Amino acid sequence: MPLVNFTTREITCKLVYYGPGRCGKTTNLLYVHGRVPEDRRGTMVSLATQSDRTLFFDFLPLELGVISGFTTRFQLYTVPGQVYYNATRRLVLQGADGVVFVADSQARRFDDNLESFQNLQENLLEQGVDIRQLPLVLQYNKQDLPADLILAPPDLDDAFNFRGVPSHPADALHGAGVFETLKTLSGLVLSRLATRPPAA
Amino acid sequence: MRSLEPWVEAPLSEFLAESAARLTLLMTSAGQVVAQHGFTRALDVMAAAALGAGIMASTFELAKVMGTRPLGSVVHQGSTVGVYLASFETPRGRWLGLVVFGRETSLGLVQLFFETLASDLARAAPAEEPPRQVLAENFEAELNNSLRALFGR
Repeated sequence: MPLVNFTTREITCKLVYYGPGRCGKTTNLLYVHGRVPEDRRGTMVSLATQSDRTLFFDFLPLELGVISGFTTRFQLYTVPGQVYYNATRRLVLQGADGVVFVADSQARRFDDNLESFQNLQENLLEQGVDIRQLPLVLQYNKQDLPADLILAPPDLDDAFNFRGVPSHPADALHGAGVFETLKTLSGLVLSRLATRPPAA
Repeated sequence: MRSLEPWVEAPLSEFLAESAARLTLLMTSAGQVVAQHGFTRALDVMAAAALGAGIMASTFELAKVMGTRPLGSVVHQGSTVGVYLASFETPRGRWLGLVVFGRETSLGLVQLFFETLASDLARAAPAEEPPRQVLAENFEAELNNSLRALFGR
């Protein structure tokens, strides 16, 4: 659950961008970083290799504003996508309030997407989190590429979205779908705080 | 000092007075800030917490790989400041502390008083409150307006 400070009336949510290597997770954060005014975001922290591949995580804190009287902040994280960094992915996933699974729409990356999606479920399960209980949004990135190279969103939905969670086509490099993805996930995460707990 | 819950404040104040630490951050093992002293900007605190939690998480994993018991603390010693990172158990789960200290104190004092802080917090923690409704049921309009403003739409 998001962290709530009743004294200072603040909410902090941890949102994690997950997906295979080079699918566009860091690009999502870079776009958000570039669009949001400086006074509403912190420094973007990137722990990357010399060739700019994410080694540990990228981190971008955002101040959303006041919602129902609570100053609401998002902490956006990415995980390293490469298969051999699984231990690091598990660490970053710890305590996530919501996950964006960024799939690479290129047909040739289908198996990588599948492997990463299964890896997400395994890592959550290892932490005692049922993926069905966690706010999840799918983003089908790189939809700007030529049609003969990519799978269309309905085809990707057929392959990955058997739970019927919200999904968005995207071109994270130019920003298409980035805002919509973040908006959908934040709505799902915050709605957990707007639910009246069952009476004792 | 800012803290998530009032019961954290007294033990933390005592630690700050005794250890003469410059900056102190208490966080959950997932990197969520519980209390802080000395940081001036909320968003920078979050970056420090994310990095501190990352260091401790990788230290734990490294110990696993080496087949040793988890390392409870890590020290980075610079020429003018040092950083002490340590984990400790509370009734609210595993928490982490990040302490930045200068030449006015020493690593030994920071470690000593941090151990006291950890045990004071474990004792002071009240039972966790049951979940309650935080946001209004129609919060989505406010959320959408905030996001639109944030993205300049």
